[in-house]
Amino acid sequence: MTLKPSSKLSWFLPLLIPVVLLVLWQIASDTGCLKPSILPSPFVIAATLLELLKSGELFKNLEVSLVRVLEGFLMGASLGLLVGFAMGLSKRMEGALSLITGLLRPIPTIAWIPALILWLGIGESSKVTVIAVGSFWPVLLSAIQGVRGTDPKYLEVARVLEKDSYTRIFKVVIPSALPSIFTGLRVAMGIAWASVVGAELIAASSGIGFMIMYAREVSQPDVMLVGVLAIGLTGLLIDFLLLQLQKRLLKWSVTA
Amino acid sequence: MNSLQIKNLNHQYALPQGELKVLDQVQLTVQPGEFVSIVGASGCGKSTLLRLIGGLETPTAGQILLGDQLIQAPGLDRGMVFQEPRLFPWLTVEENISFGCRANTSESEKQKLVHSHIQLVGLLGFEKAYPHQLSGGMQQRTAIARALVSQPQVLLLDEPFGALDALTRIQMQQEILKIWQAEKITVILVTHDIDEAVYLGDRVLVMSNRPGTFQKTVPAALARPRDRNSVEFSKIKKEIYDEFFNKTV
Repeated sequence: MTLKPSSKLSWFLPLLIPVVLLVLWQIASDTGCLKPSILPSPFVIAATLLELLKSGELFKNLEVSLVRVLEGFLMGASLGLLVGFAMGLSKRMEGALSLITGLLRPIPTIAWIPALILWLGIGESSKVTVIAVGSFWPVLLSAIQGVRGTDPKYLEVARVLEKDSYTRIFKVVIPSALPSIFTGLRVAMGIAWASVVGAELIAASSGIGFMIMYAREVSQPDVMLVGVLAIGLTGLLIDFLLLQLQKRLLKWSVTA
Repeated sequence: MNSLQIKNLNHQYALPQGELKVLDQVQLTVQPGEFVSIVGASGCGKSTLLRLIGGLETPTAGQILLGDQLIQAPGLDRGMVFQEPRLFPWLTVEENISFGCRANTSESEKQKLVHSHIQLVGLLGFEKAYPHQLSGGMQQRTAIARALVSQPQVLLLDEPFGALDALTRIQMQQEILKIWQAEKITVILVTHDIDEAVYLGDRVLVMSNRPGTFQKTVPAALARPRDRNSVEFSKIKKEIYDEFFNKTV
């Protein structure tokens, strides 16, 4: 296999800045500019990462958080799709729901956490609900926008060909809304992942957010930073997987 | 097969600055199996006329009849091809064509119809292709197949080759003639291309500018296949050309 210089460069380029930063960081730690109790050196963090991987603690906590994210995301996204389609397809439905959605949407997800703990306790349900709320909004908006954005020319074709409203919605409107919906799903997944950590920071006894908070309390900045790093990597991986899924499902969409 | 009749057709749009008269007293009878070309400048109302025949709009006054049936809504007895192919990008060529089938068609019947129409428009081998993988001409062939697969009595063509390059356009004109002869279908073509109108039509209707009405009918009784470079062909073209540009009143 031969690689073109440009494709070699495209692999190298995203790595360049992180590597330079890591080297500078390590030098700063070695020369004593950074206190290990505030910011441990990259080598110390890497060693802690290996240790946490070996003991299984990292995966255990990641798994707990991921399950919460998936449950909440499924709930929030399906509800968002349902309400979004209803509001996108029916002017009346939009009229009925526009005030309440307009009022609730600007509330940051994290602001719901205290209320949800009060209503649902500190168990799983409050965390899953926070994630559901967080993933609901981007999916709702993208579904409305996708449905509304259906090219009227396509709808005219469906009219000329005497299609019933079932065919019109499922064969024309929804497929044409899919690229927009997928963008919404990716944004929602990002928010879901961020809100689980938020919820766990406030009240939890397991999960990656808990691991970070606990490490801070017992003054283990290396464990804390491994946790932070793991959040970033997992988020990147999830988005990558969603993007692959989108490319497979929407191969007709040239921009996907 | 039924003839298409347009009687005293008037159409106007309500605009903020008042009524805009688009069509004025349009009369037309198209015989079954006839190929009629309508030429007019852009904005003269020829596309509106086609949309009215298609049932996409309701006329302000007057009637359009297919046989003794009054046209009030779109219907599969009238196939329509637009200037843009309007294919669904998420469906393959065969799925797009299959979308044109009547609702009560069985799966096996659908397959047969789709296959024979793919053959008719010369797209064998491209069944599984997506629209973005096709050239403009091939996309328009797919759109024609989709309009024909429900076996309509009338095919309405709204400047179908206007967006194609000159060579592809000529190829598509020959193709549409072949299809017309094979399907024995009535065709109404709207175009601004005089050459195209004369090459394809049994007669050419010249539409005046806003409000649109037929100011002249030019019979194009030439044997097919027609030679675009023949003297007779040029004579007919000149007659139409003069209607637009050298009118001596």
